[in-house]
Amino acid sequence: MMRKLSVALFVTLFAVCSGAAQAAAAPSQIKIGTLYAASGNFAAISMPVHRGLQLWVDQKNAEGGVFVKPYNKKIPIKLIAYDDQSNTATAATLYNQLITQDKVDILVSDSGSPLTSVAVPIARDHKMLLIDQTGTGAAFFTKDNPYIVLMSDPVSSIWPKYIADFLTQDGPKLGIKRIALLYATNDFTGTQANAVRGFIKAAKAPVEIVYDQGVPTTTTSYTVIINNIRAANPDAVITLGFPNNDISYLRNLQDSGVKFKWQFNIYPGLETEGLKKTVGAKGLEYIFTYVPSSVIEYKPEFGMSLPQFRDAWHKKYTDDKVEFGFNSVAGYTTGLVLENALKATASMEQLALRKAIFSLSGKLKTIDGTFELDETGAQIGEITPLGQIVPEGKDELKFVVVYPHDKASGKPVYPAK
Amino acid sequence: MPRWLRHTLLTVVPVIAAAALLPLGYSNQLLLFNFVVFLTLAQGVNVIYGFTGYLPFGYVGFFGAGAYGFSLCVLHLHMAPLAALGVGAAAAILLGLLLTPLLRLSGAYFAIANLAASLAVYQVVSNPNLENITKGPYGISLSGVFNPTLAYSVAVLILAATLGLAVYLRNSRFGLSLQAIREDAISASMAGIDVVRSRTLAWLLSALVAGLSGGVFAWYVSVFYPETVFSPEFSIFAIVFALFGGVATVTGPILGVIILYGIYNAIGISTPQYFQLLYGLLIMGLVLFLPNGLVSLFKRWGIDVP
Repeated sequence: MMRKLSVALFVTLFAVCSGAAQAAAAPSQIKIGTLYAASGNFAAISMPVHRGLQLWVDQKNAEGGVFVKPYNKKIPIKLIAYDDQSNTATAATLYNQLITQDKVDILVSDSGSPLTSVAVPIARDHKMLLIDQTGTGAAFFTKDNPYIVLMSDPVSSIWPKYIADFLTQDGPKLGIKRIALLYATNDFTGTQANAVRGFIKAAKAPVEIVYDQGVPTTTTSYTVIINNIRAANPDAVITLGFPNNDISYLRNLQDSGVKFKWQFNIYPGLETEGLKKTVGAKGLEYIFTYVPSSVIEYKPEFGMSLPQFRDAWHKKYTDDKVEFGFNSVAGYTTGLVLENALKATASMEQLALRKAIFSLSGKLKTIDGTFELDETGAQIGEITPLGQIVPEGKDELKFVVVYPHDKASGKPVYPAK
Repeated sequence: MPRWLRHTLLTVVPVIAAAALLPLGYSNQLLLFNFVVFLTLAQGVNVIYGFTGYLPFGYVGFFGAGAYGFSLCVLHLHMAPLAALGVGAAAAILLGLLLTPLLRLSGAYFAIANLAASLAVYQVVSNPNLENITKGPYGISLSGVFNPTLAYSVAVLILAATLGLAVYLRNSRFGLSLQAIREDAISASMAGIDVVRSRTLAWLLSALVAGLSGGVFAWYVSVFYPETVFSPEFSIFAIVFALFGGVATVTGPILGVIILYGIYNAIGISTPQYFQLLYGLLIMGLVLFLPNGLVSLFKRWGIDVP
């Protein structure tokens, strides 16, 4: 009897002690390390993403932290963020700083491919999972590197799928046969241009690319190029560039008086508020563009809805220095994915986190659409539909989703007025 | 003790020892690597500007040529990194040879022409029509040879060789003849110095230093875009560091890098606005009161600075 009692006592004591040890092992905070660019070329895309992530962190901390399964409790988040000033060399040093000095639990990259590119080998070398927010460069994702996952934008090689599908399937019925392709020669838009060519070729539709030209990303004068495109007599023009390219192109197009029957640009959709200020509402009328998650409501099953997020954004960021848009949704989505991953992970080991993130693939539906990964960690969900910006009242614009058909909210205006 | 040995013991040995030992106690190796790269580049600028008087605003052209020479050999010929590094250096020397006619210019004209030349090289490398060869603007990925520890060790060796070169120039007839050319090329020529040969040699040595640095940089970072390795910041930083410390010495560029790049990493990242203000004030102060760099202060006090 005494023996049984002492065994029971020992077992109870052990359980109590190990419980206490487990509680003691829980850290006082979960350290998330990230970079942002407050100045330089990438500030326009980096700051909204960073503020989106910051908003999620503040929300969670206001609720007492984020639930972390291995510790079975909510733990506050400490966001360690440095300004890389859009400089890749500085960014590389700072990624190293986050890993080796700050010893962050989770490493989140800055926005865009150039500032993410330097983090890919560093994260891999330190066996840290790189939470890639919007670095969509296809070269980052290889089967031999398990230390990267893309959160918020589809990888560049599939992003323009709906443009090509629309032109090859609906285009011929509308009379679109000749396509012009103009792109800025950088990783982001160059890869999309390659993808457009590939999709059009694979579709074997009665459409042909009659103009195919890459221009440096620094291009600011498009007058001659617009005339060259017009000389090729296209039915549809796809222009892929960064915001500065789109602003210059659309201004030049407006000034030249040339009106293409079907014109696509990336940023009228992604950064509508910014482009409305720089190009003017008139210059954006009837432009086809990506309809971003900041416009279309995806009925999220997790996190805030679009109107709620927009309200929270404007309530928190009253300075109006950073535009609300597609990129702000991207940063918030990163937070939502991390929240779910921490809820599901077996441990805080990097590959366990990866496994937890992969377990969300195809299941997690957020404000940004369905989160879905391929085997290399590239995002293949969250594809933005194709839409057209149409005038609504005086100086107001609205988006009409035209493709895919199951998401369409109206018919395309073709030829553009 | 011979002067060159004293200079070596006072400058090369402590710097190389620090560069070799610091990674044992400090784990942000990339930060140390950047210090090593800038120490090397500042000495490269020292060779061509400090000793010879040509201000190379487009110095990054050699750095980029080295980076791309290295990367293309690894990508297309599957060369071992050390052999590819040799090709990177050769690419920079070849570019230097191509640009030797620029040495006919001097002062601001040379600086501008050199800057234009480096931009031209950048445009050629990033031309999308050369995508099959240079990967155009879409960047290079060398994940197959990624080995930061070995790359760091090689970078330290390159730095040691470059510092050795600077010590040689500081203590040799050749170094003196270069300084004579810098002061007055015609007088130097009258004194029997082969001006064209000497300054071409200095130019190519300086290109070699940048080419090796570029190659090892590409090896270390392994994923980069053309704008990363042709960034004018490399030229500007290397020139400012060298000028701040004081050129035509071994110590000057070392002091410049340690102080200015140290400040950059200490406050430039946390509070960039204050850093820019401080940088501006420091450089203005230097131009007004110590136009020959920090080491001129020591010289004023009668101290022989290596």
